[in-house]
Amino acid sequence: MSVLTWIEQRTGIVSQTADFLTEDVPGGASYWYAFGSATIFAMILQIVTGIFLTFYYAPSSVSAWESTNYIYHNVPFGSFVISLHFWGATAMIALLFMHMLQVLLWGAYKAPRELSWVVGVLLLVITLVLGLTGYLLPWDMNSYFASQVAINIAASVPIVGNVTQQFLSGGPGMGTLTIGRFFGLHVWLMPAAMIALVVAHLSIFRHNGSAGPPVDHDLKKLPQGRFWPNQMFMDAVASLAVFAIIVALAIFSPAPLDAKADPTQKFIAYPAWYFLALYGLLRIAGTLPGNLIPIANLFATVIIPGGLVTLLVLLPFIDRNPSRQLSRRPWVLGLTAVSLVFAIGLSLYSQLAIQKEQAEAGEGGAKAVAAAPAVAGASGASTAGTAAAGGSGGAQVAIAGGAAKGMTVYNANCSGCHGAAGAGQAGVFPTLVASEYVTGDTKRLGHILLYGLNGKIKVSGVDYNGQMPAWKGQLSNTDIANVLTYIRSSWGNKAAAYPEAQLAGITK
Amino acid sequence: MGEHEAQAYKDNGTPEEQSRRQFLANATLAVGGVIGLVLTVPLAISLIPESLLSPEKSAGGVWAGVAKTDMSTLVAKPGEPVKITFNFKYADGYLPAADVTEFVWGVKLTPEQDTTFKAKRPDLFGSPAEEVKYRSVVASFVMFSSICPHLGCRYQWDGAQKRFICPCHGSQFGVQGNKLAGPAPRGLDPLPFRDKDGAAQVTWIQYKSGQPDRLIVAYS
Repeated sequence: MSVLTWIEQRTGIVSQTADFLTEDVPGGASYWYAFGSATIFAMILQIVTGIFLTFYYAPSSVSAWESTNYIYHNVPFGSFVISLHFWGATAMIALLFMHMLQVLLWGAYKAPRELSWVVGVLLLVITLVLGLTGYLLPWDMNSYFASQVAINIAASVPIVGNVTQQFLSGGPGMGTLTIGRFFGLHVWLMPAAMIALVVAHLSIFRHNGSAGPPVDHDLKKLPQGRFWPNQMFMDAVASLAVFAIIVALAIFSPAPLDAKADPTQKFIAYPAWYFLALYGLLRIAGTLPGNLIPIANLFATVIIPGGLVTLLVLLPFIDRNPSRQLSRRPWVLGLTAVSLVFAIGLSLYSQLAIQKEQAEAGEGGAKAVAAAPAVAGASGASTAGTAAAGGSGGAQVAIAGGAAKGMTVYNANCSGCHGAAGAGQAGVFPTLVASEYVTGDTKRLGHILLYGLNGKIKVSGVDYNGQMPAWKGQLSNTDIANVLTYIRSSWGNKAAAYPEAQLAGITK
Repeated sequence: MGEHEAQAYKDNGTPEEQSRRQFLANATLAVGGVIGLVLTVPLAISLIPESLLSPEKSAGGVWAGVAKTDMSTLVAKPGEPVKITFNFKYADGYLPAADVTEFVWGVKLTPEQDTTFKAKRPDLFGSPAEEVKYRSVVASFVMFSSICPHLGCRYQWDGAQKRFICPCHGSQFGVQGNKLAGPAPRGLDPLPFRDKDGAAQVTWIQYKSGQPDRLIVAYS
C-alpha cells in the first residue's frame, strides 16, 4: 500500500486510473455495451500474438513460408499461437462489424459524436487493410493468388492503377519486395495508426460520455450505472467468451497453411470471409456481356467499395434527423437492412461458388486443403465452410468471366511456349495473334488442345515445327474452353467465346 | 484529470450494493487473470528454442570431407600445423540447408610428438569430466577446432615462435594444443577425425568457451 502511495505521489497513476474508470453508464451496465470493449480485447490479442509471431517470422520470399512452416512444426505451441492470430482476426472484424452495426442502429453516430463515428470508420478501413496485408504474409498458395487478385484490383483503377500496383508490390510483380511492404504495413504502419486512432476514439467517447440506449429523452434522467466495476465486469465476461471461442477454434480448427507459393501451379484462391461480398461483386461483373465488363469491374472494385466507405464517413453529416428512436429513422435503418441483406447474400453466393469450383477441381484428386472459414455478413451469422482446393482443374479466381479465368490457365500452362502476349517463338511455337487456327474452325482448334499436335504447321504463312502437348486429362473442358475464349479475344483477336459443349464431342 | 461529473459514484449505496461491487471488481480481475494466464503460458513456451527442448536432435554431427590439397600439405609436413578447410551443410533455423566453409588446424604429429601427446594433454585422457568421446589422435593426425577455448576468437599458427597465438587476448598453445600462456582455461579442442575410404573427414563441433571443461554447445 505504501509503495502504491509512493508511486501515486510521484506519478498520479492511481488517481488517473481511477478517474479513467469513473464513468456513468446511462441506464446501468449492460452486455449491449460490450461490443466496443470486446473489439479492443480482440485487437490486444492480435497485437500480443502478432508480436510473438515476429520472433520467428522473416519477411522475404525465401523465408516467409519457411518461417511460417517452422512456426507450425517446430515452435512449441506455434500452431496454436498462429491459429489464435488467425481466428483473432476473424473475431476482431466480426466484433467490429457488430459494434458498428449497433452504433448505426442506435443512432449513436449523431451529434455530438460524429467524429467518434468517423474515427471508427477509419478504424474499420485500417482493420480491413490489416486483414488484407496479413493474408499475404504466410506466402502459401492461397496467400499468393488471393493477394495477386487484390493487387490486380488496385492495378485496375484508372490513371493511378499502375503506379498504385507498383507501389504495393514494390516492383512489376509480386515477390520478396511485396512481402516486405505488406509486412511493414501489417506490423508497423497499420498497428501504429490503429493504436493512435483507438486512443482518439476512446478520448472522444469519454469526452461525450456513453450514448446510451436509442431514446430521444434526456439520458441524464435515466438511472446511472457505474463503469467500474459493473460495466467492466460485463466487458470482461464478454471478452472471456470471445477468447474462449477463439481458443476453441484455434485448437479444433487450426489456421491452414497451404504449400509454398508457386505461381506456376494452379490454385483456386479464396478471399477472407470479410471480402467475400466484394469478391461476389467481381464475379457478377464477370458474367456481364463482354463490353460491359470493364465498367462493371470498375464499379465492383473501386466505385462501390469506395462509395460505401465515403458514405459511411459522411453518414452523420448526411443524416441530419436528430431523432435516435428506431421508429423515427426508417430511411437509415431501411438502407442498413438492405445493405446487410446484399452483403450477406453476396457473401453466401461467393462462398458457394468457390466451394463448387474447388469441389470440381478436387475431382482431379491431387490434394485437398482445408479452406478458410466462411462467416457471412456483418451480423456475424456464420456458415463455417471447408472445401477442397488444388487438384487438377482449378484456376485463379476470376476477375471477369471466362476470358479472365482462361488468362490464368493460359499463363500457367501455355505462356511458357506461346508467350504471355501470344507471340509464340519463331520456327517452333506458332503465334496465336491473328492466327487462322485460333480464330477459325472451333472443332480444329479444340482438337489441337485436346490431343496435341506434332510436326510442321504453317500459321499466317509462316512455318513452325514444334510439339503441342495433349491437354485432355490435364485440363478440364471448362479450363480449355476458358483458355480458348481468352486467346480468341486477346491480342487483337476478336472471335466469339469458345463453346465448351463442343469439346465433349471432339474425338481423336 | 480534473473534475468528473459521474453521478453514479456520488452515492455509495447500500452495504449490499457495496459488497456486490467488491465482488464484481474481484471477478473482473480474476477474469483478466484467467485470460492472461491462458495466453501467457503458450506464448512464453513458444519462445523456448528447439535446441533446449530436444537437444538430441542436433547431437551427433555430420562428417565433412576436407580439402584434398590441404590434406596433402599436412601429410608432407609432419610437426607443422596446416589450415584444413572443409564444407558442410548447415541448416540455420528454418532456412534451407546451405554450404558453410570452416577450417580446423591439422597437425601430423611426429613420432616424438605422438609419444609425448598424452603427457602434454592430460585433459584429453581419463578425466572424469571428459567430454571427448572419440580418439583425439587418429593415425598420428590431430585436428584442432580453430576457435580459441578462451572466448571464441580465431587463433593463428606463428611459424617463427612455433606456437599457436590468439590475437584477442594472447593465449598461446603448443603444437599439441597444450596451453603455454595466457588466459585460456584449457588446451585446444580436438575434433573427430577419420579416414573414410581414403578421404579425410572431420566433424565440426562447437565447445563452450571460457571454462576448463569441454562442453558441447552445438554440432554442425
